[in-house]
Amino acid sequence: MIIGIQVIALLFAFSMVYFSVLHFKRGELSGIEIVSWLVMWTMAIIVIVFPELLQSFAKTFLVTRVFDLMTIGGFILVISMVSVTYVRIRKLEKKLEDLVRRETLKKAKK
Amino acid sequence: MKIFVVIPLFNEEKHIVKVLKDVSFYKLPVVVVDDGSIDDSKKMILDCRLKNTTLLEHKINLGKGAAMKTGADYAFSHGADAIIFMDSDGQHQASDLPKFIDALESGKYDIVSGSRNYSYGVPLVRFLGNKFASVVMSAMFHIYISDVLCGFKGLTKNAYEKLRWDSSGYGVETEIVARAGKTKLNICEVPVGTVYHNKVKGVTILDAFGILGDVVRWKFTI
Repeated sequence: MIIGIQVIALLFAFSMVYFSVLHFKRGELSGIEIVSWLVMWTMAIIVIVFPELLQSFAKTFLVTRVFDLMTIGGFILVISMVSVTYVRIRKLEKKLEDLVRRETLKKAKK
Repeated sequence: MKIFVVIPLFNEEKHIVKVLKDVSFYKLPVVVVDDGSIDDSKKMILDCRLKNTTLLEHKINLGKGAAMKTGADYAFSHGADAIIFMDSDGQHQASDLPKFIDALESGKYDIVSGSRNYSYGVPLVRFLGNKFASVVMSAMFHIYISDVLCGFKGLTKNAYEKLRWDSSGYGVETEIVARAGKTKLNICEVPVGTVYHNKVKGVTILDAFGILGDVVRWKFTI
């Protein structure tokens, strides 16, 4: 039987599938990216509906409940994504700054 | 010695004309870097038609540090031997410029840093923040500057080449001091007056925490 928290998780996962497809249709995600996201969300949906699939996996890491394992996994995923995003934003900021400053100085020379 | 005044500018239509007119009294070349202002600052500067004043424009707002770097690059590529940074909000007084000019022309100093006196109207919170910054910088970079966050600074070409900062925002003054501590350049302080026109603008407590994080990073990366 599916409990309340699983319903919320399923709604979230399906809405993320919708947004992934929407961004793909808008041309903001490439073919490989949409496939990756769909595979990830499909796996998440399967795990949400059948959490017992991860039971033996959780025991391997000495985690009692699958819910705890998913929380830990979620934290690891979020932290790694935030650090990757941080580095990319810093690079982007640097490139933008160089571009704007170079344009300004080039215009001043004319 | 050819000294340029570099003024980073962002939305200061109320004060920029007075600042430029006051500075023009000293007949120094002035470089104003408009850092993506969305008010009438640019129009006001162009309407003034001041001699010796060059206006550079960033198409978007990059931050004070980036504007200072653009101004410095322009000045040194146009024959400057030294530059003096001034804020565009009228906080710094042009009448203090001779102190910087004298110190730079003496040839003894690579960096001349303005020091705002509490009795000249610095709000208590900012004064205490400045003192905390001085103590932290002294402990981490072995350089004591009584007013780390003061934007009124003079640099020689040699100093700029050694100090060229990465900060694009308000962390720039602190980074300059951190780099100065590492490079062992000759530095002196001159007392400057200050007038706070705008209590909303400037370094906020959140900026200060960000800068504190940067200080720890610079300790290992500079």
